[in-house]
Amino acid sequence: MKPALPEDAVAYGESARGRLERLGGVEFGLRAEADRELRKDAGAALADLGMLELDVRDDLDQFLAAAALCRVAGALCVPWPVVEDLVRTDGQWLALIDPAGPRVDHGDLHGEWVGAALDGAAYRLVIGALPHPAKLGPFLVPATLGEPAEQVSADDVARHLVLGAWRILGGLEAALGQVVEHVKARKQFGQALAQFQVVRFGIADASVALRGLDELARFTAWRLHAAEPAQRSADAVALRLHAVDAARAVLRTCHQMLGAIGFCDEHDVSVIDRHLQPLLREPCSGESLALRLVPAVRSGAFETLFS
Amino acid sequence: MDYDLGADADALRQRLRDLIHAHVPADFLGACTDDPADLELCNAFCRTLAEQGLLCLAWPEEYGGGGGDVWHQTIVREEMWAHHEPRGPQYMGVNWVGPALMRHGTDAQRAKHLPPIAAGEVIWCQGFSEPEAGSDLASLRTRAVADGDGWVVTGQKVWTSYALMAQWCVLATCTDPDAPSDRRITLFLVRMDSPGIEVRPIPSMLGPHHLNEVFIDGLRVSREDVLGEVGAGWTVMRDALAYERVGIARYARCESLMQRLLEVLDDDGRWEALAPALHARWVRALVDLRVARLLAYRAVGDSSGVDPAAAAVARIVTTTCDQNVAEVLVDAAGPDALDAGADALLHGAIDDHWRYAQAATVASGTIEVQRMLVSRSVLGSSR
Ligand SMILES: Cc1cc2nc3c(=O)[nH]c(=O)nc-3n(C[C@H](O)[C@H](O)[C@H](O)COP(=O)(O)OP(=O)(O)OC[C@H]3O[C@@H](n4cnc5c(N)ncnc54)[C@H](O)[C@@H]3O)c2cc1C
Repeated sequence: MKPALPEDAVAYGESARGRLERLGGVEFGLRAEADRELRKDAGAALADLGMLELDVRDDLDQFLAAAALCRVAGALCVPWPVVEDLVRTDGQWLALIDPAGPRVDHGDLHGEWVGAALDGAAYRLVIGALPHPAKLGPFLVPATLGEPAEQVSADDVARHLVLGAWRILGGLEAALGQVVEHVKARKQFGQALAQFQVVRFGIADASVALRGLDELARFTAWRLHAAEPAQRSADAVALRLHAVDAARAVLRTCHQMLGAIGFCDEHDVSVIDRHLQPLLREPCSGESLALRLVPAVRSGAFETLFS
Repeated sequence: MDYDLGADADALRQRLRDLIHAHVPADFLGACTDDPADLELCNAFCRTLAEQGLLCLAWPEEYGGGGGDVWHQTIVREEMWAHHEPRGPQYMGVNWVGPALMRHGTDAQRAKHLPPIAAGEVIWCQGFSEPEAGSDLASLRTRAVADGDGWVVTGQKVWTSYALMAQWCVLATCTDPDAPSDRRITLFLVRMDSPGIEVRPIPSMLGPHHLNEVFIDGLRVSREDVLGEVGAGWTVMRDALAYERVGIARYARCESLMQRLLEVLDDDGRWEALAPALHARWVRALVDLRVARLLAYRAVGDSSGVDPAAAAVARIVTTTCDQNVAEVLVDAAGPDALDAGADALLHGAIDDHWRYAQAATVASGTIEVQRMLVSRSVLGSSR
């Protein structure tokens, strides 16, 4: 039993953070909304970090390095579809979609997309015109289904869901980190907000939620390399569901504790929240993810101490 | 990175389940009932566990333990709690009284008290809380006044679980009312049948034995009865509470009950017919339980001992899961949910779980106290 991340993955995450902070960090992500061409610089920085050599289908160590990269990408709002790029096949990026209305984050960055539903049914995607600029998910682009493509493996769907959860985790950690600094520094009624018990308890609950998500994210990454196929799929859905639920609670706390400043474009929490939205809504809602797990509960594929 | 509990983990789990199956009837709901046979069953089961080296599996061998590691201990905790704690009140002796004696006791105290705990022959209770000292435990006022070469204790304890079943008590007293909290409290190891101790049970929705009052009037204690240093009781108590906080594997009972109810509902076709909203709650509860388990592993796996913030995180999640699962079980069970007794659904375990879960966020330190510990670790102390 060794729940700690291996040192290599930690070190890789730290060097990725350094490189992507030099690129401009969250502010770079914000600028890319106005100047979408800037995203190519993010792609170049990720290539410098060896993203293209990471094989997420190989062993746990490689997968954890990829997870660390996704976590940093979430924290710094890196304007690049890191997960979709990491789970590419033959140069084609993989998006998880709702076939009833496919949308692809950063769909306009690349010509070759495969879209897969959660059951693995896959299509080539025809990327549509850029939509009206949106605040939520500013890089989402609509697409239509093209030719059917080869079925995407359940494991690739699972990897996608899990790496997306790591990206969510990174975004939430960064947001809460900002809020912790804020409540320590901001004074009202003659004292730091961090002195008010209601504020302290809100922070406590949010950090409990994040510590839980962090544990589950590591455990699930390990399970993808240790469990049976049906279990791997169920575990991935469970992690993503938990990430989506945690995000709702944590981001709400973050906004509330920042007061008005947190809604401003210039504040990281606003950018993090807006940029995470596609991961929280696509390819389906948390409720749909929960219902997908019901058969796995009955069959025992979602394992408990007594299943 | 590896989440495997070790090569012998599955075998240990199976061995414990086989033992429970052989010695504990299916309708057993714990020692805290009106039927004294349930306590007798627990005491006999503890002796069986002790004979097989399983009662104090994770204690060092020199104290009569099995020399197992924290993961063995974790598996024991999970399996026992999942099966309605067939050790009865003795889990307290194993989980925290014994370890506190090992750390803070004298050689004579260890020689006197550890063997009976390891043999499954003694029940301890915890006399900490008082009518005026709940969350603010350090303000307790039961007075121990120096008298000759010992002390005379007078005061009152409350909520003392198992006080009528116990032979011994770790009694927290105030030896110096004017000292700061880390120098005013002294712990004594006292026999419950000593002159000057009177126990009155408190009827409650939790069932019998969980809550009692203990009146102490002129109880004589001596230097040999002091656990730790005179005035240093608070340190021992903080230690004890940290162990206690990860002590109960509530998530394991929840997972067991959910599986048992799932099987019953599935057998009569009711599982598929549950409302989608209830299915979704069920799924989320199971995911939360997995998180609770992982956080508990994190808290006990920290080699530097139990980190109070990590233990608090684990407890916040586990206790809220316990209450959420209680609601999910009752809602999924439908009209039968409130039936009690051996003939009820799951032999009354759903009703039993719901009632006991209400206290999860109060017993062993409230969830608010846990939030204080977590926020202190994130934000620093408050003024
Ligand atoms: C089933 C059960 C078994 C128990 N067994 C034992 C036992 O064996 N031995 C023993 O010694 N004790 C035992 N207890 C007592 C238990 O430790 C106390 O109930 C607990 O510490 C809370 O104290 P209290 O009940 O006096 O509540 P209080 O401390 O009065 O708290 C009431 C409410 O106020 C909140 N509150 C208090 N202070 C603050 C604050 N500063 N900020 C915010 N909120 C606050 C609390 O969190 C709680 O919500 C048991 C309790 C239960 C329910």
